[in-house]
Amino acid sequence: MKVKGRNVLLTIMTLCLSLLFLFTVQPTHHTVYAADDSLQKIKDRGKIVMATSPDYPPYEFQVSKNGKSRIVGMDVDIMKQVAKDLGVKLEIKSMSYDSVLVAVETGKADVAMSGINPTAKRRQSVDFSEIYYNGGQSFLINKTDVGKYKNKAALAHKKIGAQTGTLQYNLAKSKIPGATVKGMDKNTDLVLALKTHKIDALGIETPSAEAYVKNDHDLAMIKSGYKLNKNETGSAMAFKKGSGTLAAAVNKSIDKIKAKHLTTQYLADAGKYMKVNTNNTSMFHYWTYFAKGIEYTLIISAISVVLGVLLGTILALMRFSRSKILKAISVAYVEFVRGTPLMVQVMFVYFGIGIIVNLPALLSGIIAVSLNSGAYVEEIIRGGINSVDKGQTEASASLGLAKGDTMRFVVLPQALKNIWPALGNEFVSLIKESSIVSIIGVTDLIYQLNIVRADTYRGVMPVFVAMIIYFVITFILTRVLNYAEGRMKHAR
Amino acid sequence: MQDKPLVEVKKLKKSYGDTEVLKEINGTVMPGQVICVIGPSGAGKSTFLRCLNMLETPTAGQVLFEGKDTQKFSEEELTTLRERMGMVFQSFNLFPNLTVLENLKLAPIRVKKMSDKDAEEKALALLKRVGLDEKANVYPSSLSGGQAQRVAIARALAMDPECLLFDEPTSALDPEMVGEVLAVMKELAEDGMTMVVVTHEMGFAREVANEVWFMADGYLLEKNKPDEIFSNPQNARTKDFISKIINS
Ligand SMILES: Nc1ncnc2c1ncn2[C@@H]1O[C@H](COP(=O)(O)OP(=O)(O)OP(=O)(O)O)[C@@H](O)[C@H]1O
Ligand SMILES: [Mg+2]
Repeated sequence: MKVKGRNVLLTIMTLCLSLLFLFTVQPTHHTVYAADDSLQKIKDRGKIVMATSPDYPPYEFQVSKNGKSRIVGMDVDIMKQVAKDLGVKLEIKSMSYDSVLVAVETGKADVAMSGINPTAKRRQSVDFSEIYYNGGQSFLINKTDVGKYKNKAALAHKKIGAQTGTLQYNLAKSKIPGATVKGMDKNTDLVLALKTHKIDALGIETPSAEAYVKNDHDLAMIKSGYKLNKNETGSAMAFKKGSGTLAAAVNKSIDKIKAKHLTTQYLADAGKYMKVNTNNTSMFHYWTYFAKGIEYTLIISAISVVLGVLLGTILALMRFSRSKILKAISVAYVEFVRGTPLMVQVMFVYFGIGIIVNLPALLSGIIAVSLNSGAYVEEIIRGGINSVDKGQTEASASLGLAKGDTMRFVVLPQALKNIWPALGNEFVSLIKESSIVSIIGVTDLIYQLNIVRADTYRGVMPVFVAMIIYFVITFILTRVLNYAEGRMKHAR
Repeated sequence: MQDKPLVEVKKLKKSYGDTEVLKEINGTVMPGQVICVIGPSGAGKSTFLRCLNMLETPTAGQVLFEGKDTQKFSEEELTTLRERMGMVFQSFNLFPNLTVLENLKLAPIRVKKMSDKDAEEKALALLKRVGLDEKANVYPSSLSGGQAQRVAIARALAMDPECLLFDEPTSALDPEMVGEVLAVMKELAEDGMTMVVVTHEMGFAREVANEVWFMADGYLLEKNKPDEIFSNPQNARTKDFISKIINS
């Protein structure tokens, strides 16, 4: 018993150590050996990859035209110009705002551009271009409060909302006396909080504030009145550390854009898209978004459940094998996966493994969810196998059947009856839990839902629609599984 | 009867953790012999039987099959041992996911590499022999206890064993079904099958067995011809046990 326990511990420790190794050794390796080939690499590739979180109009947001959705906005137009100047193509990778900087640090993207403020803290981990736009800071408030909150001073001791991890968040914290600052991931959620009076004002960039006010007649805006260092409040593009040549080339383009005052035109264009967008904010108008979300959610769940069952079966067989090493690996794997959140696993596969091989977001999502599901499926299969009467194995052995044959012809078919319902539950929860892949920009239902919210300036309705869709999917699936289970019982 | 023993048990011991279930067992099974093992519950009869075909590994001592130590058997030799030494369980242990016919065919096809056609032919012949050929295509759950046990015997026979181990084959049966199973076993004995039978059926032991072994507390306390052991038991524990059984 003791020896076995130690084996497991050893395996877990080895696993942890190798993870640590991955994280600590890799970056130093880069800083020490990598010469600055950042620009050359892009030119060789003929393509520049931009990471962005398209839920921030007018900087970047999604529009759909003729059933096809694409990312537009001022940032995109600027980046197109940059790509043109560099003589390369532009590829846009969308992901959550939290992930865009990680994406350049890990080489998933060449440039992060998402209305990012180049704060001193951020400068420690990435390089920035010069400021390409300075929109200034504002507050969104409810129109009914216009008389009440005339300026920043009136907001003292009030509840201020801001996107977590943004400049607005830090400013509200440090510059408004006595304010309670409430952070959320998405501006759409914050706007909803404002409209439902959970917060009194929302710190936001002026162009975004203008967009909201234009599209939502219940909202108004006031100037922030912060006295700020220009270098920290404008928006800049982020690159991986040590990308001097790339930054220099990009800065040249930015200078050109500034000289020609192109941003004015870009903002006007973005405004036009937003006009188109808000003509019809009914959920039916956005059915293609939801349809695409359903498609991806189903693709991820279906593939992951198949891979998860495969992996789970292998792990279960390892668990029942005579080899102590295989057994220990299986135990350690299951313990480790069950002991860490799926969200962390998804980010690890996309960003962590991404350092070694560049996996696309969808593939990363599928891999992470499959790896996760495998551990749970192993538990289910093991339970099913253990529930088969020991007499069955003995009878099979007494006939001379090999262990493998006993599993295949006697134990597993009987175990399946117990495994099936639990596996069905796993499938259902997989559909729900796979929603976490939206953080790395996989366009699943949750991701699409957030796009629709940003697009329509409607906070609740898209959530409600998504909820119904999830329910319908899982409800239908449960019926199908129950039907199959019933059929299986009749066969015996 | 040949004079080389089929199975020899020498100073066999078996413990589970601290509990010593078999303390010392010595015995010899000659080809063609029918041996009935009797004794009170918990004596270690099942454990002893399971040590014979290595479903349990002895803690000490030896089980020799045709003179060879079964504990030193390779994986293949173990398979051969089990092919040649079938087992019938108290609770039948038919595979509920397979039809009766498939229950019989599985081992010949997978272990003996018999063709499907040959296996089927053989299975049907064996089912006929135990009087159940019309049940070939049903699932075990629809069989009565007596039928299930006869199928289990046929399944063991499908491997052409030279020796069969029975662990209380009739204890789980309703009384009216005991007879049909014993009849099949008796027929097997008459055909010269070597058998080790753990049983409480004293009538069967008296009529069919060549030897009766009495076990208690992990020891083999007495071995003798059935007439001798029933009419004139030597050991006090044997005397006690037999008088109880006969009077009940
Ligand atoms: N796997 C096991 N682990 C621990 N103890 C066991 C195990 N198998 C059997 N025993 C114990 O060994 C003793 C003998 O068991 P065994 O089944 O061999 O007796 P038996 O003579 O066949 O009895 P019965 O007539 O009740 O079948 C019992 O006390 C039982 O509890
Ligand atoms: Mg027993």
